[in-house]
Amino acid sequence: MNKAAMNNPASAASAAQESGEIRLVNVAKQFGNSYAVRDINLTIPHGSYCCLLGPSGCGKTTILRMIAGHETPTSGEVWIGDQMVVGKPPVERGTAMMFQSYALFPHLSILDNVAFYLKMRNVGKEERRSQAEEMLRRVQLHHLKDRMPAQLSGGQQQRVALARSLITNPKVLLLDEPLSALDEFLRLRMRGELKSLQDELGITFVHVTHTQPEAIALADMVVVMDTGRIDQADTANMIFDRPKTPYVARFMGGQNVLTGKVVRAGNEPMRLKSASGVIIETVPASFNMGDNVSVSIRRDRIGFARKSQASTEAINELSGTIIATEYQGSYVKVTVDVGDGEPFVANVSDDIYFRDPADVGDAVTMSWKPENVHILNKVDTGEAGASFLDDSH
Amino acid sequence: MSASHSYGSRPWTFYALALLFTLFVIFLYGPMIAVLILSFQGPSASLVFPLRDPSLMWFDELFNPRRVGDVSGAFGRSLPLALIVMVLTVLISVTAGFAFRRRFKGATAIFYMAIASLIVPGLVLSIGILVTFRYLGLSANWYTSGLGAHLSWALPFGLLIMFAILGRLSPSYEEAAYDLGASKWRTVKDVVVPIVFPGMIAVALFGFTLSYDEFPRSWLTVGTKNTLPLEIWTMTTNVTSPALYALGTVTTVVSFIVIAIALGSIVIIQRKRSRGK
Amino acid sequence: MSPTPTRKSLLTTYLQVAPLTLVLICFFVVPVALVVVVSFFRYQMLVGIVPDFTIRNYVDLLTNPTTWSLYISTLKFTLIVLVITFVLGFWIAYFLVFHVRNLLVAIGLFLLCTVPFWTSNIIRMISWRPVLGKEGLINNALINTGIIDSPLQWLLYSDFSVVVAYVHLFTLFMIVPIFNSMSRIDKSLLEAAIDAGATRWGVVWNVVLPLCKTGIALGALFVVTLVMGDFFVVSVMSGGLSGSATSGIFNDLQFLNYPRAAASAVILLIVVLMIATAIFRLVDVRKELAR
Repeated sequence: MNKAAMNNPASAASAAQESGEIRLVNVAKQFGNSYAVRDINLTIPHGSYCCLLGPSGCGKTTILRMIAGHETPTSGEVWIGDQMVVGKPPVERGTAMMFQSYALFPHLSILDNVAFYLKMRNVGKEERRSQAEEMLRRVQLHHLKDRMPAQLSGGQQQRVALARSLITNPKVLLLDEPLSALDEFLRLRMRGELKSLQDELGITFVHVTHTQPEAIALADMVVVMDTGRIDQADTANMIFDRPKTPYVARFMGGQNVLTGKVVRAGNEPMRLKSASGVIIETVPASFNMGDNVSVSIRRDRIGFARKSQASTEAINELSGTIIATEYQGSYVKVTVDVGDGEPFVANVSDDIYFRDPADVGDAVTMSWKPENVHILNKVDTGEAGASFLDDSH
Repeated sequence: MSASHSYGSRPWTFYALALLFTLFVIFLYGPMIAVLILSFQGPSASLVFPLRDPSLMWFDELFNPRRVGDVSGAFGRSLPLALIVMVLTVLISVTAGFAFRRRFKGATAIFYMAIASLIVPGLVLSIGILVTFRYLGLSANWYTSGLGAHLSWALPFGLLIMFAILGRLSPSYEEAAYDLGASKWRTVKDVVVPIVFPGMIAVALFGFTLSYDEFPRSWLTVGTKNTLPLEIWTMTTNVTSPALYALGTVTTVVSFIVIAIALGSIVIIQRKRSRGK
Repeated sequence: MSPTPTRKSLLTTYLQVAPLTLVLICFFVVPVALVVVVSFFRYQMLVGIVPDFTIRNYVDLLTNPTTWSLYISTLKFTLIVLVITFVLGFWIAYFLVFHVRNLLVAIGLFLLCTVPFWTSNIIRMISWRPVLGKEGLINNALINTGIIDSPLQWLLYSDFSVVVAYVHLFTLFMIVPIFNSMSRIDKSLLEAAIDAGATRWGVVWNVVLPLCKTGIALGALFVVTLVMGDFFVVSVMSGGLSGSATSGIFNDLQFLNYPRAAASAVILLIVVLMIATAIFRLVDVRKELAR
C-alpha cells in the first residue's frame, strides 16, 4: 500500500501538498466561570505523531476538539497550515476526527458509514460505494460491508471509524482516546497499526491519551498537560528522561523527585541538602547558595544494597525500610519508606535483586551517581498544579 | 484579526426554534390563562373579554346545584375515584413491572395486551364495558365499571413508566443486598423501593390525572351519576355563564396542586439523596 | 434476575403479574370481545338486542354513504393533525435536546410543555372559546388594529378550531416519545456528521431523523388513535357542524341500538389497528429494539 493509493480521485488535491502543521496561539477555553484550558501555545509540526497526555480533566480533549472545530476557543488562535481556522466548520479545516466512542451511525451499514462523507459531498451512489469499498479493503473489513455497527466487535468498529475518517483525505487526523475501549491485546496491536499508518500517510496525527506507555510508544512529540496548561512539549525521550517539572516527572512515572537547598555552588558539582539531611550531588549548575532546587532520579538508575553501617554524611545515598516489592518480570519494583515525604522507588534488575532478595521490613540503602541526577526547572510544591479549574471538562 | 472570526455565537436556528418554542408555550397556556381570568367576571356575565367588575360570584354559583348542576357531587365522585385509581395503578403496575424483569411464558402476550388496551379507542372500550355489565346483570357505577375503565388505560401507562425505570435498575443492586445477607423482603424494602421511588410518584401522578380528567372511557361506564369531566361536558351545552370558566379554574387548580405535590416530592427526595441524607 | 428461575420464583412472577392480567382481561379483553360478538346481533325496535348471527349491521353501515364521508372527514383531520403535531413535536424536542445547553433548563422547559397534559382536556378545549370566538381575543385584536372590519367567522366552530384543539391537546403525545429517543442520541454522532461535511439540515435528515424513528412512530400511534377515536372535540369545537367516525356510534347509542353501535366500534377498531400496523411496518420496531 503506497501513498498514491490513498489519494482517491474524488479529492485529488493531495494532502501531502498542504501543510498539516498545527499552531495554537494563546488559546483559552472557558466553560462558565472556570477555564478548561488556558495559555496554550503549541506548534505541532507537519507530519508528526503528537500525543496529548494527561489525567482526565486536564483539558487535552478540549484542545483536540478546538482543533477539530467542535469547540470554539474563548480566546486565542488556532492555525492549521496557513489558515486561521477559528469559526470555520470542521469540514473546511482538513481535519478528520476519530471519536472515543467511534460514533458510528447505528442506523447505517458499515459501507454507508464509510461513504457518509462522500454522500454529503453529493458524490453519486455508485461512485461513493466503490470508493468506500476500496477504503474498507484497506482496513481489511470489506467482507463486513453490509453489517450494522452493532454487529461488529470493538476492534472492527475502530477500523471502520478509521476508514470513515481517512476517506476525507485529511491533512490532520485527530484521535480521541482511540485505544481506550479495547482490551490489552487489541490495544497493543492497534497501537502498532496506528503508528505504521501514520508513517505511511505522512499526515499529522494528534492523539489524546491518558496512558503514558501509549504516548511514549507512539509519539514523535508528547505534550504533557496538567489542569488546563501545558507542562512540557518534547520528544518522548526528553519527556521521560529529562522532565522539566516535578509534575511531569511524577506523572510519567519512573522518577523519584527530591528537593533540597543549595549548600555548594560554583564550578564544583552542586550539592543540595534535603530537609531530612540527605546530601544530593549533581553536575555543576548555576544556582546560588540557599536556593531551593528539585531534582529527579530515574528509578532504574538507583543502586540498591542492604543497609550497611555507612557514615551519616554519605553523598547521594538514602536509607529506609522496604514497604512493598512488586515483581515486574525483567525488574523488581522496590518501594522504600525513607521517613519523610513520598516513598522512594528503585527498579532493581531481577538478577541483582534475586542474588539477595530483600523483603518488606528490611532496611536498605539506595545510591546513585551525580550524572544521573536531573535538575528540574521548577521547585516541587507537592501539588499537582494550579487548581484554577474544576474537574468538569 | 480574530475579531472577524466567530467565537461560539449561537446559530440562527437557535433563535428560530426558541421563537417557535415560545409561541408554542403561549399557545399551550394562553387560552388557559384567558379562562382563568374570565372566571372572575363580574355580574355582566360576559363570556369574553374585557373583564368587568371582577368578583367571585361565579365560584359561588358553581356550588349552587339548582343553577348549574351537581358540581360538588361530581367532585365528590371524581376525587375518590382518581385516588383509588392512583393507588391501584401504583400497586399493580409496580408489581407487574417487577414480574416483567424475568422471562416467563405469556410475557409477550400480556405486554401486547397492555399496549392494545392503550391504543384501543376509549369509546369502543366504553361500549364494551357497558355491554359486559348489561350481560352480567350489573348496573354501571363509577366505583365498579368506571374504575375498571380507568384502570384499563392507566395501568398500561404505569407499566410503560415502570419499564423505563426498572430498565435502569441494575440487578446487581439486589444481588449485592442478598450477598450482604438481606432477606428478599428487606431487599425490596431497603434497596429496591428507595431506588424506584421517584418513578412510583410519576406512576401515581399519571394514575391520578388520567382518571381525574378521563372522558371517553367514563362516558358510558360511570352510570347515572356524572364524574367531573362528564359534568363539565353537560355544562358546555347548557350553561352559558362564566360559571363554566370558574369550574375550569377550580379543576385546573386541583390538577396543579396534584402536579406540584408530585414534582415537589420528587425534587425533595432527589435533594435528600444528593445530600446523603 | 437468575437465568434459570426456580419453580417457586416463577410462581412469584405469575402472582406479580396476575392483578394486571386480571384487570386487563375483565376490562379490556372481555369487553372488546363482547363488542365484536354483539356487533353480529340483531336489534329490534321495542325488544332491544336479539342474539343472532347477522352481518346486517355491517352491511348497513358500509353501504351508508354517511359512514364513508364521516370516515373521510376523520381521516382528513387525522392526517392534518398528524403532520402539524409531528412538525411541532420534532422541532420542539430538537430545540430542547440540541439547542438548550443547560440540562436543568431543558428539563424545566420540557416539564413546562407537559404540565397541561395533566389538566382537564375538556377545560382546555373550552378555553379556546374566549380566544377564538366572534368577540374573542383574536377577532378583537384584529378589528382593533384595523386588519379586518367584521369578525372572522371561521375561527370558532369550524374545521379550523377542531384542528387547533387537536393540536393543543395532542402535540404532547408527539413531543414526549420524540424527546425520549432524541435525548438518547450520542452527541458525537452529530459531530461525526459535521466532521464529514454535513450541513445543519444534512445532520437532521441523515442522523437525527432516522434515529428518532421509533419515537415518531410511537407519537404518531398515539395521535392517530386519539383523533380517530375522538367524538367530543369534534362535536364541541365544530359546534356540531362536523362529525367524526364515532358520530355513528353516538347516534346509535341514543336509540339504544347496541348491535349497530358495536359494529361501528368494530369497524373503527379495525381501521385503527390497520393504521397502527402500517406505522409499525414503516418502522421495523424489532430491528430498532435490537440495536
